Amino acid sequence: MSHGNDHDHAAVTGSATSPLAARVRAMEALLIEKGVLTEAEIQDNIAYMDSRSPANGARLVARAWTDEGFKARLLSDGKAAAIEFGIEAGASPEFVVVENTPGVHNLIVCTLCSCYPRNVLGRPPDWYKSFEYRSRAVREPRAVMREFGFEPPGGTRVAVHDSTADVRYMVLPMRPPGTEGIGEEELAGLVTRDCLIGMGVPSAPTG
Amino acid sequence: MTARFAPGDAVRVRPGAKPGHVRTPDYLKGRQGRIEAVLGSFPNPEDLAYGLSGEPGRVLYKVGFRQEALWSDYEGPSDERLYADVYEHWLEPGGER
Amino acid sequence: MGGGPAGPIDRVGHEPEDWERVADAVNAALGKRGIQTTDEHRRAIESLPNYRDLAYYERWASATEKLLVEKGILTEVEIDGRAAEIQRRWERA
Repeated sequence: MSHGNDHDHAAVTGSATSPLAARVRAMEALLIEKGVLTEAEIQDNIAYMDSRSPANGARLVARAWTDEGFKARLLSDGKAAAIEFGIEAGASPEFVVVENTPGVHNLIVCTLCSCYPRNVLGRPPDWYKSFEYRSRAVREPRAVMREFGFEPPGGTRVAVHDSTADVRYMVLPMRPPGTEGIGEEELAGLVTRDCLIGMGVPSAPTG
Repeated sequence: MTARFAPGDAVRVRPGAKPGHVRTPDYLKGRQGRIEAVLGSFPNPEDLAYGLSGEPGRVLYKVGFRQEALWSDYEGPSDERLYADVYEHWLEPGGER
Repeated sequence: MGGGPAGPIDRVGHEPEDWERVADAVNAALGKRGIQTTDEHRRAIESLPNYRDLAYYERWASATEKLLVEKGILTEVEIDGRAAEIQRRWERA
C-alpha cells in the first residue's frame, strides 16, 4: 500500500530551514571544523554536480544522430565518448548507453536505490527516486509510461533495465522523422531528460 | 578475469536469502534468465558495504529475463524482457523453462 | 521493492535546495576521501527501521549520520547540539 503523501513531502521536510536541513548543515559544519572535509572540497563537489545536466546527454545523443562513428563509440564505451565532449564521468561507476530501435524501446530504473548516471546527467527527477516508480517500472512499464502520457510505438518491445550494480544507463532515443535538415544544436534541444530515461521520445520540432 | 558464464548461457539466480546488503533484487531470486553480456569484474558490494575491501573482484553480468516469466500478471507482448546486472556468485547454470 | 504493489507516481518535482546540494556534496567528498563508500551508505539506508516512512533526503541524512557515528567521526549528541543551534539562528534571522 503506498502512503501517497508521506514520501515526497519536500515542502515539509525539504524547506531551507527545516530540522532536516539544519541536521545536514550541522554535519557539514562539524566535519569541516574537525578537519575531516574542507569547505573548498564541498563547494567543488557542489559545482561538479551542478555542472552535470540532461543537456550533456542531449549533446551526446545529437552527435550520435549525425555521426555514425560517434554513435558506435557511444554504444561501446559511454565514458570515453563523453570525454570527447569534455564530460568526465569519473572512475566508477560505468556508464552504458542503450539504443532505442524500431523494435525496442528502453526504460531505465534502479529498484534498489534509484541509481542514475549522475556524473553525466546530474540529479534524477524526484519521480525516478519514488518508491512507486521503483516498484512498478519493472513489473508494469507500459502502465507507468501511460501515466506519463507516453505510449511506445506499435510493434515495439519495451526493455526495462534495472541498474542493480556498477553500471548506470542512459537511453539513446531514435532521431525523430522530419529532422533531416536540422543542425546538431537544435537536435540536442529536442532531447529531454525524460527521453534519456526512456519515459518518452523526442518530438520533431513543430512549425 | 575468468568469467564462468558467456553471453547466451542459460542461468538461474540463486534463491538464497543472504542477510545484509545484497544487490540482487528479491524479485529475481530463483528466476531463469540468459546472459546478455559480461560487464567486467568489480569489488564485491556486499563486502564494501561493511568497510571491507571487496577484493577479489566479482564478475558482473547483464542478465535478461522474460517478463512473462517474472510476473504472472504482466501486461505486454510475450517476448518483452527485463535486464538486470547480477554478480556471478548469485548465478548458477540454469535451463530455460 | 521491485514488483511490489504501489500507487500512482507523483510527477511533481522540485529544484534542489542548497542544503540538498550540500548533502550530496558531503557524501561525494566523504567518498573521494575514502571515508565512506556508496555501498556503505546504501547499506546504512537499507538498515533504517523506518525506511518506508522517510523522504529521500531524510534517508540520506539518517544514513550518513549513522555511518559517521559508526566510524567514530561524529557523535549524535554533537550533531543534535549543532543542529539545534543552527535552527535557533535561523529562527532569529
